[in-house]
Amino acid sequence: MSTGIIVLIIIGVFLLALILYVIGVFNSLVGLKNLIRNAWAQIEVQLKRRHDLIPNLVETAKGYMTHERGTFEAVTKARAQATGAHTVNDISKAEGRLSEALSQFMVIVENYPELKANQNFLSLQEELTSTENRIAFARQAYNDQVLFFNNKVQMFPSNIIAGMFNYTLAESFELEDQKERVAPKVSFNQ
Amino acid sequence: MFWTIIAANRRKTYMLITLMGFFLMLLGYVIGLSFSPTNDPYAGLAGLGIAFTVWFVMLLFSLYGSEKMILGISGAREVDKQTYPQLYNIVQEMKIASSMPVMPRIYVVNDPSPNAFALGKSPLDSSICVTAGLIAACSRDELQGVIAHEIGHIINRDSMYMIIAATMLGSVLLISDLFVRSLWFGRGSRFGSRSRGAGGGAGAAIVVLSLLLAIFGPILARVLYFSISRKREYLADATSARLTRYPEGLASALEKIRGAPDRLSSAPSMTAPFYIVNPYKQHLGGSPFATHPPLEDRIRILRGMSAGAGYIDYVKSYVGVTKTHKPLIPGSDLKKADHAEIRRPSNEPVDKQDDHAQNLKKAGDIMRAINDYAFIACACGLKIKLPPEFKKDSLACPRCGRAHKVPRPDRNMMAGILATATALSANDTTAKPQAAKDAGNVQVIKRQPGQWQQFACDNCGHTYEISPRFKGNIMRCHSCSTTFRIED
Repeated sequence: MSTGIIVLIIIGVFLLALILYVIGVFNSLVGLKNLIRNAWAQIEVQLKRRHDLIPNLVETAKGYMTHERGTFEAVTKARAQATGAHTVNDISKAEGRLSEALSQFMVIVENYPELKANQNFLSLQEELTSTENRIAFARQAYNDQVLFFNNKVQMFPSNIIAGMFNYTLAESFELEDQKERVAPKVSFNQ
Repeated sequence: MFWTIIAANRRKTYMLITLMGFFLMLLGYVIGLSFSPTNDPYAGLAGLGIAFTVWFVMLLFSLYGSEKMILGISGAREVDKQTYPQLYNIVQEMKIASSMPVMPRIYVVNDPSPNAFALGKSPLDSSICVTAGLIAACSRDELQGVIAHEIGHIINRDSMYMIIAATMLGSVLLISDLFVRSLWFGRGSRFGSRSRGAGGGAGAAIVVLSLLLAIFGPILARVLYFSISRKREYLADATSARLTRYPEGLASALEKIRGAPDRLSSAPSMTAPFYIVNPYKQHLGGSPFATHPPLEDRIRILRGMSAGAGYIDYVKSYVGVTKTHKPLIPGSDLKKADHAEIRRPSNEPVDKQDDHAQNLKKAGDIMRAINDYAFIACACGLKIKLPPEFKKDSLACPRCGRAHKVPRPDRNMMAGILATATALSANDTTAKPQAAKDAGNVQVIKRQPGQWQQFACDNCGHTYEISPRFKGNIMRCHSCSTTFRIED
C-alpha cells in the first residue's frame, strides 16, 4: 500500500470523525433548545394557573374583607397587566409586581381570622402557595437549562458549531425585585 | 451540571454492583466445584449458572412484582389531588423542579410513625409513598424536603440499583444458606467417604473454601449492599437541598422523624433501604451494617449548608461533618455544579411544638379522609367522623343532640373550585361577580340572625354551617360550585 493511500485513509477517517462530531453537537444543541422551550412552557402553564386562581381568591375574600378595596384593586390591576405581557422582559416585570401585590394581600388576610377559617379560602390559599412554588421551581429548572445551553453556545469548540447554525444565547428568567418580595413580618399575638 | 454528578455517582455504584455480582458468581462456582467428587470445572460452571439463574429470577420478580407487593404488604392507598391536595401539590412542585417527565404515583400508608419511600424503575414509572404519621408531623416545608429526597432517589435511579443489589444479596443469602444446610444434613456421608479417597486433600480444601465463602459471603454482601445504600442516601439528601433550595426543611423533618417514638410496623425488612430513615434499628450509627448514614450526621450536614443549597455546598458541609477526604462526588464534576441560593421559608405558620398525641390524631384523620369518611364539625365542638358504610341521611350529635345532615363524600372539592376559577377568568381579566353567578346555580338562604345555622346544598347535598358572626352574603359550594346567596 502506498503512503498516498494511507494518508488518504487517515484524512478520510479524520473528516468522518469531524462530521460525526458536528452532527453530535448540533443535535445536542437542538435537544437543549427544545428542553428550554419545554421549561418555558412549564413556566407559562404555572403563570396561567396563577392568573386563574386570583379572581377566585379575591372573590372569596371580598365577602369578609369589606374595607380593603385598595388591596383588591392593586391585585386585580397587577393581574391584568401580567396577563397582557408578552415578552420575557415584560412578563418578568409584571409578574414581579403581581407577586408583591399578592404578598401584601396575604399580609392583610392575617387580620381576618374568619376568612382564614373558611375552608374554601384555605384550599385556595394552598393552591396559591403551591402555584407560587411551582413558578419558582419552574423558573429554577428553566434557568438551569438556559445556563447549560449558554455554556454550550459559548464554550470552545461547540461555540463554532453554534455560530454556524445561528444559535444565540438564551435569556434567563428572573422575577423583578427579588428583595422587595420579602413580606414584612406581622405579628399579632404578643 | 447536575446530571453529570449523577453520572459520577453512578460509576461508583456500578463498581460496587459489579463487585457484588462477581462475588455471587464466585460463590456459585466454588460451591458447584465442591459438589463434584473430582472437582470437575464443569460442575463449578453449573454452580455459577445456577447462582446466576437464581439471581435473574429474583431480579425479574422484583422488577415486575415487587412494587405491587411492597405497597400491598404495607397497606398503601393511592391518593389523588382531590383526596389530599397539599401532598399532591408538593409532589408536583418537586416534579417541576426536577424536570421529571411524568408525575409519580402517590401513596399514603396507614402508619403513625413518620417515614417515606420511593419505588420505581425509572423516572417514567415511579411511586412515592409516605406514612400518615409523616403528613401529620411535618409542616409544608418539611414535607417538601422529604418528597424532594424521594424524588432525588427516583431521578438518581436509586430504586433500580437497590433492586439489583438487593436481589444479589438475596441470592447470596439463599445459596449460602442452602449450601450450609446441605452440608449439615444431606452430604455428610459423601463428604466423609471422599476424605478417605485419593484426591481428598484438594477436595477438602474446596469444601472448606466454599464453607468459608458461604459463611462470610452473606456478611460481605451485606456490607457492600449497605455501603451502596448509604451513598445513595447522602446523594438524595444533596438532591433534596438542591431541588428545594431549602436544606432546613429536610433537616427539621429528619429531626422530627428521629424524635418520633414508634417504629414502622408494616415494613418488610428487605425494603429497609428504600425508606428515608431505616424503619428498624435506627441507631446503628456509623457501622458497616447500617442501611442509612447516621441521622445526626445527615442533619448536621444539611444544617451546615450556610453558604447555599447547591451540590457544591452540600459536599463542603459533608467533608466538614464526616471528616472524610473522599468526596461524595468527584471534584471534576463539582466545578460544573453551579452554586444555588437558599430561599426563604414559606409563610406558612409552623407549630414548633411537636405534640405526639395530636399527631396521632391527625394521622388518623388523614387516613379516614383518604378512606372516604365524612366529617361533620358540630357547633358544640365535637368532630363527628362517619365511615363510608354509614348510610343514613341524618344523625344527632352524640354530645349535644343537634341534628346533622350527612354530607356526601367530598371528593371533588378542588375540581369545583378550579372549574369556577377558569370560568371566571375566561370572561374577563378582572373578576366580576356576575361571572361567578353564571358558573353555577344560585340558592337563596334566609339568614337567621344571632344563631348557628345549618343548610345543605340543594344540588349536591353537601352541608354547611355558618356562624352567627358570619356577615357575608355570598358563599360557594365546595363540591358543585352552586352559589349561596344569604339574605337578611
